[in-house]
Formats: sequence, C-alpha cells, structure tokens
Amino acid sequence: MIDLFVSAILLAGLYATMAYGLGLIYGVLRIVNLGHGGMIMVGAYAAFWLHERLGLDPYLSILPVAVAAFFFGIGMYKLLVKRLPRGAAGGVQSLLLLFAVWLLLRNAAYLLFTGNDQTIRTSYSTHSFHIGSAYLSWNRLAVFAVALVILAGLHFLLTRTYLGKAIRAVAQNPDSCTLVGIPVEQVYSFTFGLGTALAAVAGVLGATLFSFNPGFGATELLKSFVVVVLGGLGSVAGTAIAALILASVEVFAILLLPSYLTAAVGFVLLVLVLVLRPGGLFGQRVLG
Amino acid sequence: MISLPPWAPRRIYLAGFAIVVALIALLPFIHDNYYWHNQITFTLLIVTAALAWNWLGGLLGQVSFGHAAMFGVGGFVAARLQMSAHFPMLIGWLGGGVIAGSYALIWGHPTLRLRGPYFSIATIGVGEATRLICTYWSWLTGGSSGLSIPVDIDLKHQLYWYALGLAVLALMASYALRKSPLGLSLLAIKSDVDAAADVGVSSSRLQDLVLFLSGLTMGICGGFYASYAGFIEPVDMFGFDRSISFVLMGVIGGIGTIAGPVLGAMVFVVLKESLLAYYPQLYLGLFGISLILVILFEPLGLVGLGMRVLRKPIGERP
Repeated sequence: MIDLFVSAILLAGLYATMAYGLGLIYGVLRIVNLGHGGMIMVGAYAAFWLHERLGLDPYLSILPVAVAAFFFGIGMYKLLVKRLPRGAAGGVQSLLLLFAVWLLLRNAAYLLFTGNDQTIRTSYSTHSFHIGSAYLSWNRLAVFAVALVILAGLHFLLTRTYLGKAIRAVAQNPDSCTLVGIPVEQVYSFTFGLGTALAAVAGVLGATLFSFNPGFGATELLKSFVVVVLGGLGSVAGTAIAALILASVEVFAILLLPSYLTAAVGFVLLVLVLVLRPGGLFGQRVLG
Repeated sequence: MISLPPWAPRRIYLAGFAIVVALIALLPFIHDNYYWHNQITFTLLIVTAALAWNWLGGLLGQVSFGHAAMFGVGGFVAARLQMSAHFPMLIGWLGGGVIAGSYALIWGHPTLRLRGPYFSIATIGVGEATRLICTYWSWLTGGSSGLSIPVDIDLKHQLYWYALGLAVLALMASYALRKSPLGLSLLAIKSDVDAAADVGVSSSRLQDLVLFLSGLTMGICGGFYASYAGFIEPVDMFGFDRSISFVLMGVIGGIGTIAGPVLGAMVFVVLKESLLAYYPQLYLGLFGISLILVILFEPLGLVGLGMRVLRKPIGERP
C-alpha cells in the first residue's frame, strides 16, 4: 500500500512536467497543442540518440534538449502557429495543424529510428534501495527530483520575474497588453517555445523510465490533458495536485482492475472530467 | 411525376448523378479485374464512412478523433450477430449500426456540450478507452486475436453493389442534411450555438440526431467491413490510425462540403495504396504535409481548390 502511494507520488512529478507545457500554451495562446505528444516523443529520442552516440547521461542531456526544443518551438510558432486565427473559431484549425506537426514528427522518427521499441539503459537503471518495506528505484526518485526543480523554476519565473508578469498579463488580456507596450507576439513565441521545451524535457524523463517508439506520446498527451483540465490552467499548485490525483487513480486501479484495463482509466477519467468539471477542480484560474 | 422538396437539386443534376451511379453499377460487367473490383468496393465503403464523419465534423464543426469506436463496435456486433445468433447479414449490419449509434449517443450526448477543441480531445479519450475495453472484452471481439467471419466468394463479389448502395444513401443523406431546413439549423449551431438557441434551434436535440446518424452509418460501415474482409481484430478496427483517417479524408477533401469527403476518401485510398506499396515510411508525413497546406492555405481542401480553379465564389458551396 505504501509502495503504491510512494510510486504514485513519484509518477505525479513526471505527469506534472508533461502537463505544464500543455497548460501553459493553452493558458496564454488559447491553443490546444496536439503536437505536444510529438515533442514528448522527440525528447525521448533525443535523449536516446545523445546517449547512444555521445554516451551522454540522460539527465545531463536535459539541458541541451530543452534549449534545442525551445528554439524548435519558436520556429514552429513563427512558421505555422502565428498564421492561425486566434480564439474560439481557430480552435479546431489549430488542433488539426498541430496534429499534422505530430504526424510529421512521428514520420521523421520512423525514418530515423525505425518503429522498434527503444530503451535507454544506464548503469544505474536497475538500481534501487528500500525504506522500510517500500522499494524505490533511484531512477524514479531522480525523475521526481528533476520535475520538482523544473516546477519550482517555473513558479519562480511566472511569479517573480518581469517576463513572468508579462506572460500572465498576456494570458489575461492580450489587447490591453498591446496598449501598455508589452510585446505580445514575443511573449507568444517565448511561451510556445517554453511549452515545447517542457514537453521535450518530459520526454527525456519518460525515456529513462519507459520504453518508447515513434507512437510514444499519445497516451502522455491525453494524460497531460487530464491533468490540465483537472488542475485548472497554469496554476503550478493545481497542476501538481491534479497530477497526483491522476497518478494515484492509475496506480490504485491496479488493485481493482485487470492490468490491461488500467491504461483505459486515464481515458475514462479524461472524458468524465471534461463532462463534469470542464472548468477544472478548482475553477478557472489564470497563470501563477 | 414525383414531387421533390424545394431544396432538392435540379433535375438535370439528379439525372447526371443517376447516370454516374448506373455507370459504376455496370462497371463490373465490363471488366473482370479483381483488383479494381475490390478497390472500388473498398473506396465506396470508405466514401460512406467519410461522409458520415463529415456530418458531425463538417456540418456541426465537432471534429471527432474517435470515430473508429463506432466503426469497431458496429463491426464486432454485426459479426457476433451473424456468427453466434445466425442473423442474416443485413440484419447484422443494421444491428451493429443501431448499437454503434446508441453507443455514440451514450458518450456523445454529454460531450457534445463541449465546443471546439474540448470535444475533440474528449473523443480521443473515448476512442482509446473503447479500443482498450473492447480488446479486453474477448466475449464480443475475440480479444487480440480477433474474429474470422466465413466469407462466401459470390457474396464478396456482390458486396460491390451493396457498397454502392450505401455510398448513394450516405450521399443523399449528406445532401439532405446540408440543404434542407434542418441543414440550416445545423449551420446555425455550427456558427454560434447560443445565437442558434436564441432563435429557437434546439441544439442538443439536433446534435444528438446527427451524432446518432453518424454513429449508425459508421456502425453499418463497420459491419460491412467485417463481412467484406472476413477477419477483424480490435487494434485495426478501433485503432487511432483509423480515427485519424476519417479526419484526414474530411479535411483534405473539404470539411463541411458534400463532395469533399468523397474526393478526400478517393484520394486517401489511392495515396495509401500507392504509398504503402512503394514508400511505406513516408505516408504519415505526406498526410501531415497535406493537412498543414490545407489548414494554412485552402480551408475547404480539394473542393476549395477546385472552386478556385473554376473561379466560383466560395460562398456557393456544392
């Protein structure tokens, strides 16, 4: 029981990182980034490639992958997303456009790495230790720690810096931001880059725990969406709590359901949450 | 003389349509190429499914990424009805269709209140959950190893005309849903739900109706596919790739138009066949690029492109 609870908490760290990028982009640009799953997959393969070719430890590859993904995201914004109509009418179009990006990324991954399942194996992948009766793998703990650092960094960025203030302002009302001289377009492209980078980092973290193939990221995208909808938009605390709820539900479902169906729990939860609490558990909140 | 409703197409177009249908129906008597016979049967089936997707995705603007759920439910229910209960084929299809339509209502009635991206995301969840549950539910679906339905070779040949019949029905239904007074209500809902409600359009009832019709047709298509392929298994029937294929056909052909899904489905089948044969590794990416081009430059897809070539004003949608 404690085993399960601990593993739920550790899993929640990864879920929160995955979801935050999606929530950030939706909160500021009002766009559901279906390319998010693709970027998670790209992050996983980037870590894999750096590990195989250069022998770089996956945890050390977080920084270069994040930087590269950030600029990739900015490029994607300038090239594609910027041309979309904003607001409710553009909703479905942006969905389809970013979905197309996902298809392209998947195809690229097939071409470069084939469709086989891959894993990143490090010297410490299988090491674990135990506290009382609970076994913990170092890897899961490390993922959790990295996720905490990232979330704390984001919280700091959004609440304590000038840039964060601008991002929150744009999320609230882009028109008045233009009036007071905030470069809205730059904030948009920065946010899109940041969200993309977060997705890639989540992919790196996920790659240290799970095996992956070019279809990796689809389930992760849906889980991110559950977390975003549950937690409300862009609130770091809300995201963390929602991630913990999702992780616990999944982990404890193993006790009640055959293992094959535990994967369906997330999807059912997604639909239920959307129908019952479309505003999130804690009501709609703006970033911060 | 049969009296037609005022929104029906002009008689000359009707006659042209009848001639085209008759030509397709007579085609197998002219050639005896099995490959083409099968290809056209399959294309007609996919055209029907794409049209059914478009009722929801195009006419109501509720883009569904989960229509494989109804396709799969229809297919497996139809197969079960024929194999275990020994119902005749058409009753099996209809049963599969009705169950699929009802299933669509069960998840769709609550989720259709969501607009735009939220609905789409919910349908991804529905599609994937259905796939997992049905793969596990081996009593219905035979589990991962699927079901084999005995195929009669003569029947398989005749299914061509059944497919043509389905496609014609779906095309007529599309026309009715687009041009009749009901179609105007749907357009109003698509443009602005609240404003439509203000002028007395019952959005939830009409959305449910369209959803049921769409699910029903999808289910019948699934049942047809089961009879036609002779073997069905959950990963293929319920797969996300299948759901995506309906979206791609609708959007690339021209979302919300009548001719669009027909064109899209034809292009899709031809492209998929030729690409899978020669460049299997490129086909996802090619559809990705087409989708990007359509969204950025030609929101009405191939139909929009055709109108631009013919210099017709976009307002006059076919």
